[in-house]
Amino acid sequence: MSNDATTLLVGASTDFLRNFSPFNRMEAEALAFLAERAVLAFHARGNEILTPESGVPTHFYIVQRGKIQARQAGQATVTEYTSLTLGAGECFPIGAISARRPSTNAYVAVEDSFCFQISADEFLHLMQISPVFHLFCTQYIASLLSQSRQQLQSSFAQRAAEQQTMTTALGKLIKQEPVFVTPDTPTRSALERMSELHLGCMVVVDAERHPVGILTQSDLLPRVILAGFDLARPIGELMTANPHQLPASASAYDAALEMATHGVRHLLVVDSDSVLLGVVSERDLFSLQRISLRQIRAGIDNAADIAALQRASKDIRQLALNLIAQGIGAEQLTLFISALNDALTRRIITLARERHDLVGIDFAWFAFGSEGRHEQTLSTDQDNGIIFRCADAKQLKETRARLVEFARTVNEDLAACGFPLCKGNIMASNPELCLTLDEWKSRFGDWIREPDPQALLNASIFFDFRVLYGNERFGDQLRSALNRGAKGNSAFLRMMAANALKVMPPLGRIRDFVVEDDGTIDLKKSGARLFVDVARILALRTGVESSSTVQRLRQGSTKIGMSPEEVSAIIDGFNFIQLLRLRSQHLETEHDSADDNRIDPESLNELDRRILKEAFRQARKLQLRLKLDYQL
Amino acid sequence: MSWLSRLKIARGNQPPLSAEAERALEAWHALAESAHEQPHFESRYVVLNTEATGLDLERDRLLAVGAIAIDGGLLHPRDAYHAQLEPSPGDALAGLLGFVGRSPLVVFNATFNRTILERAFVKQLGFTPEFLWIDLYFLLPSLFPERLERPGRLADWMAAFEIETFQRHHALGDAWAIAQLFLAAQSRALSLAVTNPRALAEHAQAYRQKLKV
Repeated sequence: MSNDATTLLVGASTDFLRNFSPFNRMEAEALAFLAERAVLAFHARGNEILTPESGVPTHFYIVQRGKIQARQAGQATVTEYTSLTLGAGECFPIGAISARRPSTNAYVAVEDSFCFQISADEFLHLMQISPVFHLFCTQYIASLLSQSRQQLQSSFAQRAAEQQTMTTALGKLIKQEPVFVTPDTPTRSALERMSELHLGCMVVVDAERHPVGILTQSDLLPRVILAGFDLARPIGELMTANPHQLPASASAYDAALEMATHGVRHLLVVDSDSVLLGVVSERDLFSLQRISLRQIRAGIDNAADIAALQRASKDIRQLALNLIAQGIGAEQLTLFISALNDALTRRIITLARERHDLVGIDFAWFAFGSEGRHEQTLSTDQDNGIIFRCADAKQLKETRARLVEFARTVNEDLAACGFPLCKGNIMASNPELCLTLDEWKSRFGDWIREPDPQALLNASIFFDFRVLYGNERFGDQLRSALNRGAKGNSAFLRMMAANALKVMPPLGRIRDFVVEDDGTIDLKKSGARLFVDVARILALRTGVESSSTVQRLRQGSTKIGMSPEEVSAIIDGFNFIQLLRLRSQHLETEHDSADDNRIDPESLNELDRRILKEAFRQARKLQLRLKLDYQL
Repeated sequence: MSWLSRLKIARGNQPPLSAEAERALEAWHALAESAHEQPHFESRYVVLNTEATGLDLERDRLLAVGAIAIDGGLLHPRDAYHAQLEPSPGDALAGLLGFVGRSPLVVFNATFNRTILERAFVKQLGFTPEFLWIDLYFLLPSLFPERLERPGRLADWMAAFEIETFQRHHALGDAWAIAQLFLAAQSRALSLAVTNPRALAEHAQAYRQKLKV
């Protein structure tokens, strides 16, 4: 008898669920399983249904009626939204219950609401019996790729406990209304206001309040006092024009990067119309950051010897760890490491020049490989070279010898600062890699014309070059020669493509992942490289100048007609793999280790495992596109 | 007189109850009465609804009963009962008793539902089972004056909460709507420190008294 009643009620729940995705597509058996077990409960307006403090969620909820708000808890913003309202047919929490970890959101009823609920075990069983539901959850999780940062963050929470997030928007860091003057203001009155208001800098704006210049306290000694500047003259003659500025929506991290890159202490914050909103100083960021970026930058720039640079190198590492702890994304993080490592390398080169006579030699220092792509992780060995001009053929041998001598010093100093010497001797001190522009061009041309396996391997390292020190024009000239040569040779691109397709994403047919004998996956070889290789081909084919994988994908794939959504899913996949690499490097050792790129997928939590799988799927998608384009 | 001899008298010429129904009845009589003072989250309520030939207590007959349990604040489709009285009204009512046990009964409009049910119990089973009755007709306006100030029809309350059901004027279909109203009522009651079944019944009763004044 009671079967009759249950059948009716289950039927009612089934009819309700059928109005919504994914339940409308769900297998009949799975839907019946869900409807039979879905229990209805009421949540009064204002009630918390689930919070991070409730621990691992015991139930999965489907809103029957009303509105439930998902609110981001904690400091760091993990997802794009800070709150999200769920209505009838929507469900929560998906990620947390799949990964069996506490929810990162608080779920609160914002109206009197009814929700169906099933237990966590029933949820997991449903995922097992319903491919449709499984896919729904997986895709949902994949769309929250960035949520994994939160995971990362919690594992470092201890270290970063005192630190605020570097993802704070700059707009929120502005402490006071901006003080500014116009360019025609007499310098004396501008300086009086600075002194009166205890300002570290004075902003100069035009009639529309667009910043046109800045004068900082540190400019006063050289430009005013020592130069005997006449204070009656307008500040416009004294200021630094084109001051560094960032939009209010940029993060503290962006500001830090900008300061570190350009070696400045103040940044102007502007709105979307470039109108001055305020000033953010290094000191404002300092409160967010235990190790000051500029401190490191200053430490590097003022380093008198290698010992000082070794300390700076350690600081870079520590800072990177802090940033990981704060949940900074892989793309930003690697760019950041790259910017500081660049500064370090430049300083090493500058110091080396003091010991070597290079007068009259026009040259540039190249970074190759991951450094060339701005994708350095914490343990990257050196890949570098030199390009130089030599007008007089008779001088060639001698010039090269001088540069090689100098490069040897640089390579050794880099090694002393934590960048291990390259085992394959891809270093500027190798005379084979200390070449003139013409020699580089002909070297590249040979590889393109005769793409044997060695040439293809070389292309994968050297084509990712960028100028790190010296005459930038060499880089531009070589890049345009390369792009011209490669574009005109489709046979070469096809060989590159065939080569890139040799390594497949480690996705299994039966099990989630194909692992190596020791049960691990090499995230570099069968992860990041899949993206890097395709991006390089894409760049050569479409003439993208950048050497960074993300930039190459972003700029190149839209040119070949991929949708922005597709592209960003692919980039998310790449970034996630990079993040896992950074994380495992850090967690395992704080120095170079052969196992740095290996990860045991079993050691990942459910969520990360799913995202990793999705990332590999994106790699497969990218490879498939390559396959089609080159008919391989 | 024992429940069994009452049953025999009541059955008279009617066919005897099924063995299953008799067992259910025997088990019901063996149950201990409850003080109905355990908190909501430990209480099992039964939302009960009847379907009759009409609304005239003098002439109309009971056609079907529908019941849904709310256990610990949760409505579980497996814990539900629905039966037509024909062809075996005695069995249907004994089955209902087996389902309800001693749980407090939640109805919408006790005057009608209780009267027509008790009459059927007496006729079919020879006795009037004792229950704690909670009448949403009075309880709802006492708890949600901001939604409806005075007692209203079920349709009014469903509209006020935007509650829908799969089949109106069906014993179980309406019970499903009433059960959802009761879920909301339970939650509001708790916030007003009306924490157990007895207090709920008294709350509704007090409101009713106030109306009479």
